Amino acid sequence: MRSLLFAIAALAVSAGPALSADEWGIEHEEVVRFEAKVVDLLCEIAGDCPPACGAGKRQLGLLKEDGTLIPVVKNFDPFAGAVNDLKDFCGKQIVADGLLIADPLMPMMVLQFKREAPDGKWSRANWFVRDWAEANGVARDSEQAGQWFYNDKTIKAKIDVGGPFGIPGLKPDNE
Amino acid sequence: MKYCVGLVAALLGALATALPAHAATPDRVRVTGEIIDTWCYVTEIMYAEGTAHHQCAVWCAVGGIPVSILGEDGNVYMVLKVEDDGDNVANPRIVKIQSHKVTVDGDLYVRDGVRYLVVTQVADDQGIVKLTHEEYGIQPFGE
Repeated sequence: MRSLLFAIAALAVSAGPALSADEWGIEHEEVVRFEAKVVDLLCEIAGDCPPACGAGKRQLGLLKEDGTLIPVVKNFDPFAGAVNDLKDFCGKQIVADGLLIADPLMPMMVLQFKREAPDGKWSRANWFVRDWAEANGVARDSEQAGQWFYNDKTIKAKIDVGGPFGIPGLKPDNE
Repeated sequence: MKYCVGLVAALLGALATALPAHAATPDRVRVTGEIIDTWCYVTEIMYAEGTAHHQCAVWCAVGGIPVSILGEDGNVYMVLKVEDDGDNVANPRIVKIQSHKVTVDGDLYVRDGVRYLVVTQVADDQGIVKLTHEEYGIQPFGE
């Protein structure tokens, strides 16, 4: 019995957690997994192409083999996009796992997991907070990192000036 | 000679693979509307216009989610470039005008259902004019 449990535990460790997208209950969402090339949207659309897809300063998309281009607008972190998750895959084929929001107003992708094609190692698309924590000298699993949007210096500076409504002097009723 | 022809062909081939295959001719447009967070607005996960959503829109822009213009025509235009600045992830210049009502001139590329906008000129910036906080509070957490 003990050896059986050990075998199951070993299998679980080697296989890693189940990697498949969660449904988020958003209208038009569809759980998808597909292979595509990571591209700089501005390069792909208008031919304005800096090295390395802009090295983190450009919005990225997924170009499928049939020519379909899908902008990736969101990762798994709160209030964060997926550029940190994808920038190192610039020009490479990846397997993207997540939600396609097939909204007629603007089709877009939520990236939840990714790996280099065909058989790279899966990783969760949560590298924005990972990188934010490192840049700000806090632990990735700290409360500061988990609520990065309340602790980010750039955001604090802007909200300090304009308040939550963006208009200096206009304050919530309870203040 | 054969060597030169081969070299030219190889260079042309390399150039062809380096350039995007689908770069297209854009339409010149003028768009008036509010600078919004693309994700919150399109998915309707919360109310995402005006003062009520300003703070969240700043979070999302700094977090690297694409910024768009919600046009008066109801369309959403994803902003890929503003004038000579091709940085479009957490660009301080774009964060600074989050939630503002603007009028811009630019090149519109429509591909696979997405309206991508390369802004060549910000013709007008009225600041934040849509006052929605009295009805919707502070989105999404009320603080």
